[in-house]
Amino acid sequence: MTQQLILYPLLLQLLLSILLMFFWYRINAQRVISILGSILHLGLTIFVFSFIWNNGTQTLQAGSWEAPFGITFIADSLAITLVLLTAIAGLAVSIFSSSAMIPDRLRFGYFPIFHFLLLGLNGAFLTGDIFNLYVWFEIIIISSFVLITLGGEKAQLEGAVKYFTLNFLASMIFLTAIAVLYGLTGSLNMADLAIKVSEIENRALVQITAVLFLIGFGIKAAVFPLYFWLPASYHTPPSAVSAIFGGLLTKVGVYALIRVFSLIFVGDAFLDEILLVIAILTLFSGGVGALVQNNIKKVFSYLIICHIGYMILGLGMFTEVAIAGAIFYLIHDIIVKTNLFMVSGLIYRIKGSSSMRALGGFYSNYPKLSLLIFIPLFSLVGIPPLSGFWPKISLITASFDTQSYWGLAGIIFASFITLVVIAKLWAEVFWKNPGEIPKRKKFDYFHKMGKYRKLGFVVPIVFLSFVSLYIGFGAENIQILSSRVAQELMDKQLYIDAVFNNAQNPK
Amino acid sequence: MEILFAIIIGVLYAAGIYMILRRSLVKLIIGIILLGNGANLLIFLLGRISEGAPPIIPEESKVFLEAYADPVPQALILTAIVISFGLQSFAIILVKRAHKVVKTDDLDEMNATDEDS
Amino acid sequence: MLTAILLGFLFALFLVFAGKFFKGKLAVVSSIIPLSLFIYFASFIPRISSGEVIRRTYEWVPSFGVNLGFSLDGLSLLFSLMITGIGFLVYVYTSTYLKNHQYLDRFYAYLSVFMGAMLGLVLSDNIISMFVFWELTSISSFFLIGFNNTSEASRKSALTALGITGFGGFSLLAGALLLGSMAGTYSITEMLSMKEALAGHEFYILAVIFIFGAAFTKSAQFPFHFWLPGAMKAPTPVSTYLHSATMVKAGVYLLMRFTPVLGDTNFWNTTLISVGAITMLYSAVHTLFRTDLKGVLAYSTISALGILVFLIGLGSQGAFLAAAVFIIVHALYKATLFLVTGVIDLQSGTRNVTVLAGLRKVMMPVAVAGILAAISSAGIPPSIGFLGKELTYEASTHSTGLVIVIVAAIVLTKILLLYAGFVAGIKPFTGKLPEKFSEVKMPGPLMWVPPLLLAILGIVFGIFPALIESSLVKPVVTALSKDASDIHLALWHGFNTVLILSIITIVVGILLYLFLKPSEKLENRIGKLEPVSPESILKKLTYFFAVFSKFWTNVFQNGYLRNYVTTIVLFLVILVGYIFIGNSRLVIDHTQLSQITAYELAVTIILIGGVFYTVFTRSRIGAVAAMGVVGLAICLLFVFYSAPDLAMTQFSIDTLTVILFVLVLYRLPKYLVLSDYKMRIRDGILSLTFGGLISLLALQVLAEPVNSDIGDFYAKNAYLMAHGKNVVNVILVDFRGTDTLIEISVLAIAAIGVYGLLKLRVKSSDRPN
Repeated sequence: MTQQLILYPLLLQLLLSILLMFFWYRINAQRVISILGSILHLGLTIFVFSFIWNNGTQTLQAGSWEAPFGITFIADSLAITLVLLTAIAGLAVSIFSSSAMIPDRLRFGYFPIFHFLLLGLNGAFLTGDIFNLYVWFEIIIISSFVLITLGGEKAQLEGAVKYFTLNFLASMIFLTAIAVLYGLTGSLNMADLAIKVSEIENRALVQITAVLFLIGFGIKAAVFPLYFWLPASYHTPPSAVSAIFGGLLTKVGVYALIRVFSLIFVGDAFLDEILLVIAILTLFSGGVGALVQNNIKKVFSYLIICHIGYMILGLGMFTEVAIAGAIFYLIHDIIVKTNLFMVSGLIYRIKGSSSMRALGGFYSNYPKLSLLIFIPLFSLVGIPPLSGFWPKISLITASFDTQSYWGLAGIIFASFITLVVIAKLWAEVFWKNPGEIPKRKKFDYFHKMGKYRKLGFVVPIVFLSFVSLYIGFGAENIQILSSRVAQELMDKQLYIDAVFNNAQNPK
Repeated sequence: MEILFAIIIGVLYAAGIYMILRRSLVKLIIGIILLGNGANLLIFLLGRISEGAPPIIPEESKVFLEAYADPVPQALILTAIVISFGLQSFAIILVKRAHKVVKTDDLDEMNATDEDS
Repeated sequence: MLTAILLGFLFALFLVFAGKFFKGKLAVVSSIIPLSLFIYFASFIPRISSGEVIRRTYEWVPSFGVNLGFSLDGLSLLFSLMITGIGFLVYVYTSTYLKNHQYLDRFYAYLSVFMGAMLGLVLSDNIISMFVFWELTSISSFFLIGFNNTSEASRKSALTALGITGFGGFSLLAGALLLGSMAGTYSITEMLSMKEALAGHEFYILAVIFIFGAAFTKSAQFPFHFWLPGAMKAPTPVSTYLHSATMVKAGVYLLMRFTPVLGDTNFWNTTLISVGAITMLYSAVHTLFRTDLKGVLAYSTISALGILVFLIGLGSQGAFLAAAVFIIVHALYKATLFLVTGVIDLQSGTRNVTVLAGLRKVMMPVAVAGILAAISSAGIPPSIGFLGKELTYEASTHSTGLVIVIVAAIVLTKILLLYAGFVAGIKPFTGKLPEKFSEVKMPGPLMWVPPLLLAILGIVFGIFPALIESSLVKPVVTALSKDASDIHLALWHGFNTVLILSIITIVVGILLYLFLKPSEKLENRIGKLEPVSPESILKKLTYFFAVFSKFWTNVFQNGYLRNYVTTIVLFLVILVGYIFIGNSRLVIDHTQLSQITAYELAVTIILIGGVFYTVFTRSRIGAVAAMGVVGLAICLLFVFYSAPDLAMTQFSIDTLTVILFVLVLYRLPKYLVLSDYKMRIRDGILSLTFGGLISLLALQVLAEPVNSDIGDFYAKNAYLMAHGKNVVNVILVDFRGTDTLIEISVLAIAAIGVYGLLKLRVKSSDRPN
């Protein structure tokens, strides 16, 4: 019973996707199923999470084939935390989608694909097999391709071509890396790889393999200089899609990097150095990119890139404190980025524009809403004690410990730029008097919507804002979690034992 | 033969990237397909190739009696081929739509989404 | 104590929900909050002056070592009383000043958040929680400066102020964390005992620089001072409260707080003396050239902050005593002057000091307040200002090093400040009342009582310094780890050098005031220096940085897919190539490789030929056909090398792709030659390098030992345990069945996507672009 526990989130999402396909044209039914399903999913993952929290890492060998022969599923603290965050963000976006997505898109399979995407995310977090990870990645990218093109507008398609090509390239590099790794070790199970790779004598080949993984995952995580697809495409689909992309897609790349570089390719000074350089340049490029944008969705897109840098930096410094910082940031970032893209969708619905120059006057017209939006915006900046602040303690401390002063400079630079960018955004969108925005005919303005539809916009934002507040004010709990994840990651033997000795300690 | 294999793979990767670097949408798709083939062959090669020994257990036996090719890479490639097919067919349709909407085959003219707005 | 700090936040939260009912005069009621806090803190005076330090610690985030540790000693008590006391008067004053303002509730909410944050800042013993409150003061200041948010100037100033102080905030964070890792604790009290160890630490200088970065930006020291005059865009109560009496003194507070921990080193003292001296002189000179009352006050505030930094830098008991007294002096007279300015501005509609005159005739009590404050500011007896100035001179003359320079600097500054005080406090009220101001009315008592009260206190404390001696001043000196037992405050110190300096200051200052009238001409003259001021330099830097940002962003994000791919591949090639070159273990073991047979060679040639044709042909159908040939050749390779299933799959997929290709794309236009020769060469080289590296990599991997445990396991157990003879199939459906399940999902999703792409057209009216 408990063995299969970690599969339930996967099965539930799969079931939801299939169920939703049966209601192809009945979009109201789809809305209800999706929201209820997501609530159920959240409840289930909370249960699984608490189970793992109390009982430690759980593994499952698919088809009962012993590791390393079958496909292993493993839920350690990191994996289950991400599954939980996916469930939280998923629920919010599900509610948001039911209001924000126009019926046309819903009639073309938006919800089933959305749940396939969540399935893929869950699978990627839970799998313990590198080729299986590739397959989950493929399900994620094909779902994201469909979501990003759904609607077929010009901008969407232009963005999608780039998005597709670069992500396909990433997959191919990933596949190449798997080929090399299999050639070197004859294994695909990650725990097994952790053992076998450390035994390989030709370290140069190991480094090359690691670099291939770094680039394959790096493209997906959108780090410098591989992030191009993100600013080219993230602002083109509807906000609900951007929200789930912005919150979770790049984070899968980050997750994969963390997993691979803490488990398989560990303790290589050269690789750590590369990670550090990449991280710092990512912080820099994302920051300056955000500084020059005018479209709020693009601002957020560049901020995604910028903040990926924090996590990679934590990984590059590779001390327990640094990893804990990276994990804390990851937790904070998933929630807040998802929220911000929903916010941008709401702003767009209210005014019919995403241009900072044109927008304005929110504060006087929508004071309560502004106050609500203040929470994710300034959590992002990391105004203490909001959520973005805490991980910086770990990261800065770690940068002193490891004496990576460029890293420190990167953190401060990025924090400063984020502060300036968000303050500017606040001044432009919320304070200044609005510019002339031509009224659009046939546009679903927010103020014309019914009460329930409005709630569909606002409730998920409130929900995630509260989660952000919890992360900020309950930082103690999050830090305990992050430290535990970091401890597990720093000691790869724990992971290996969990995979191989599962039979000995059944629980 | 391994050397020839390696060269073939190199050529496929090179041709794939070269085609992706062209400005035509159609060439982009061709490049993607070539690259996919290259990656599959790489898995195949690195799983160590052996001639005339398919991993099928002989009719009359329950276990292998002689050397056989490593079945794992073959299974992986099978999965990868099918997935690539899914992606490629999607890409082909995407290109068709993009061409129809943007009205050009030239990728260089598809940069509106990167411009400041 | 926690409640005391949180009260402001709670009130703000209350206003968020109940703001609607918060209108007009009702606002005055809210001043109960600062008043009761003032009384609460005042009740600690006896305990603090007897040398006690009151501590409270509340757990918060123990895993970070962050707690809400508060400690109330002389220094924090003085600041707490200022924050709540002046806060009370500002609350009262505001209720009339912004009587009918639409967003009065918001204003009070910000003000309350600020007050809470400021109290938290000065009471925190834990430097991380101090940073938390520090940032909150910056943010609330941002909202208060930008309160008139429809004015562009106001927004800009708010952004500048936030930018500068925010930068300082990160500096504080870095400094706090560095100190934390140096000392192993975030508690300032605990750090006190490690003074020697910290001063000798290799990172001492770095830590001090971070702390300075925070203090200098917050307290508007040169060259970061310019945000403060800009911040005068805020409503006057804000300027009074944040930008003269309390928030800007947070930097000074920080320096004082860290003096017992980090002070008393050469680096600490020299830097503070120099920065303080430059700031006080620079901005005191600036006051000569201002015509806006608030401008004069802003610069004189910066100058006063400079004096404080300078005094902390001197580092003697006398200097700390002078600083403690001067903080009180400055808070009293500067707050008065700002409040008076607010009255003048509101009633007469101008702050231009060149036109203001004779207002005493219409608002006598305000004039009294202004004049008394000016006297205190000038250091004329019997005001407390005189005492402050005497102590400052005393400390300066007893300093070590370049005493003459130091004394000259401070005297000059004081002369100029006397001028500034007179201009702000006396000029508007003396002389003939211009015609246009004859209609100016007296404001309500809630507006003139607060400044008058402050001004009178300035005189009362001057006459009876004993009132503040052991209650406020001595504990501050004690808190700075100096012996305070021999301190005795008195107006009359006897006839000595200091008194002579005082007389010079007053005489020269008054002469200056009589002969130099503020005028626009002067203001324009200093305007010519504007291009070299720190503000303009920073503006230019910001501008260049913006240009550079744009350049950097557009270089990488240039819109051309091929450039993106180039960058990525180049990055890969460089990294992989670098490792290859660095580790030349390039061995290809020929013995392990199998022979090449003729038909294999033939297939290879066909395959490579097919690839080349695909790449170089001008005919699209030709390219697709050649691609089909490549696929078939791969099939053959699979057949040769024991993979019949793969061959089958490859064959069918290849065929399908070609058919799909032809069906879907045959209507596309002809291939165009789009890239030029150079481009193709460049791409060709890059691609070949990439392909070459992959080949090389493949050969390298082949030279490594084989490990086939897993394949063997599958082969062994395929039939025995999974009951299949085709091992590949068994792997797909059983050993690795999950892969296959997902693979099918991928196809399903792709099908839905294709359907959507072909059928769905969103009406463009719903979304632009």
